[in-house]
Amino acid sequence: MTGIISDLIINIVTGVIWGLIIGSSSIGLTELWGVMKVVNIAQGETLLIGAYTVIWLYTAFSLSPLLGIWISLIIGVLVGAAVYFALLHKLIGKVEILTLKTEMSTLLIMFALSIVLSNSYYYWIGSEPRGLGTWTLGTVSYIEIGNLTLRTNEIFAGVFAIVLVVLVHLFLTKTIIGKSIRAVMQDAQAASLVGVDPMKIKLLTSILGIGLTVFTGFLILLHEASITPEVAVKYAPIAFAVVVLGGLGSVMGTLVGGIVIGFVYGLTKVIISHVYPAVLSDPFALSTAFIILVLTLLFKPEGLFGRR
Amino acid sequence: MVRDVNIYYYLKKPTLLFIILTLLLVVLLKLFDITTVDTLITLMSFISFAASLNIIMGFAGYVDFGHAVFIGISGYTYVLAVWYYSPLNALQHIGWGLGAFTLAVIAGLVSALVAGLVGFAVLKLRGAYFAIATLGLSFAALYIIKSTVPALEPTQFYAAEVILPYHAIIPKIYVFNAMLIATAFVLIANYVIRNSKFGVGLLAIKEDEDAAEDIGVPTVKYKILAYLLSAFFAGLVGALISLNRGGVDETAFSLAHSIDMIVMLVIGGLGSVFGTMLGAYIYYWLYDTLLVKFPGINLIILGIIVMLIVLFAPDGIVGLFKEYKIAGKRLRELLE
Repeated sequence: MTGIISDLIINIVTGVIWGLIIGSSSIGLTELWGVMKVVNIAQGETLLIGAYTVIWLYTAFSLSPLLGIWISLIIGVLVGAAVYFALLHKLIGKVEILTLKTEMSTLLIMFALSIVLSNSYYYWIGSEPRGLGTWTLGTVSYIEIGNLTLRTNEIFAGVFAIVLVVLVHLFLTKTIIGKSIRAVMQDAQAASLVGVDPMKIKLLTSILGIGLTVFTGFLILLHEASITPEVAVKYAPIAFAVVVLGGLGSVMGTLVGGIVIGFVYGLTKVIISHVYPAVLSDPFALSTAFIILVLTLLFKPEGLFGRR
Repeated sequence: MVRDVNIYYYLKKPTLLFIILTLLLVVLLKLFDITTVDTLITLMSFISFAASLNIIMGFAGYVDFGHAVFIGISGYTYVLAVWYYSPLNALQHIGWGLGAFTLAVIAGLVSALVAGLVGFAVLKLRGAYFAIATLGLSFAALYIIKSTVPALEPTQFYAAEVILPYHAIIPKIYVFNAMLIATAFVLIANYVIRNSKFGVGLLAIKEDEDAAEDIGVPTVKYKILAYLLSAFFAGLVGALISLNRGGVDETAFSLAHSIDMIVMLVIGGLGSVFGTMLGAYIYYWLYDTLLVKFPGINLIILGIIVMLIVLFAPDGIVGLFKEYKIAGKRLRELLE
């Protein structure tokens, strides 16, 4: 019996930490979707830009990942601007109210971007796993609390995730730029009447959304320890589940959505591995995220914290 | 737009001729042994997968990222049915492929049944929400199959892959015949739907669903019917693909299949039967030649082509030539 309980604690704690990571790595997606109605299908590949940048800087120049993430943020900002000017501007730059058809075009173009990026990784980086090797924050790689063993990197990633989400939330609610972004999200026409330039805001959102996604790729790297292009396929759909559950455009909602999905994942994993040992518990637990996604869309499409 | 069924009317339509030419081409390539049976089966599966998705995505305008689910469901249905029920195994050996086709139809009906159940719920959603819901469904199905099938499957390999037993493997030429019938079936169904009241109703839903509802199009019924048909045809072809591969695994559910189908439709032109076939040919050619000439970067080039098409030719290649006139008629009128 004690076996089950300690198993439960371990899985739920690691599940919730994973939830914090997927929550914060989805804030870029929620901004893009909420403000611009652009669904970034290339979410997973965008995350990998950041992860691969940090790995490359660490292995080629032995630059500490703690400095590397800032360079990945700069690259993210550049990628965001490039994506806006090369792909999105022609489709949505001058449109104030999106029709379904424009929305579908943006969906397809981000989808094409994901094909290009993911195959570029396979071609130029290769499918073998890459990571930071033995790099850890501080001197110990594991921390033990009772019979709970956690990786230092994972705890760091969890804390980092919370801090980042709080900062972005403050940026969106307290600064004038953040307020104009939220104004455009609520009503683009009304916002332009009071002097907000929607085109500038769209560019800014694109930079913010993609920049943050690239930045948080580092957290995925810390959790996964090593990265292959395949990781994108795992994380992109989970990010959709998180964003829909949290409510479009809601940064805090995204964090809560991540925690809920991480918790359910951990719980399901324990139950399945104890009740039906023949069933592979990890993929089964992952499927709960998508069941949550579909159920949310059907019964509460505005999500936990979104507005209709 | 309801028209009398008049054979001369249909013969004047280039799309129908193109369907016939497509089928003829495949038969001729086979007869003269110009290429392998496997290549032809793949080519036909590309065309008919694209045509199956065209019903829901091209006509009704619902972007379905989870169409591969129906390939997977019918693939598993087919393989497990052959494993567990020997009469069904006997069925697929008869009729030079007709038996296999019949069994694939049954597997396709299972897919359609699932689509009907799922469709009632998810077709309430519109636009990106529908796309994301189907994406979610496809991943839920993928992970559930990956985790539970190893515990259930007959060979006990502890993997989600189920291989056809030796006595259930039928000659390649039977598979070819069955696939040819299936392709003809899918393409003609596409054509008939496009030229029926039902098809026009779907196009109205694509343009503006609320307006369509207001002028009396039974939108809910039409959408579900379109989704059912789409799933049935994908399932039909998917079952034959599993038969051709000699087994099925969880990758039948993977996003890659849905990606293939969507890319073909976008290249050719959404909603046009002619464009669907054209898109499938072009995609197959790109896939095949680029794979040989530029291994590794072929899909990167493909992605860039899709980007360019979305940006500069939103109605696909067919859309580029829509307004050209041939013998006083606009090409658009001829190609639909």
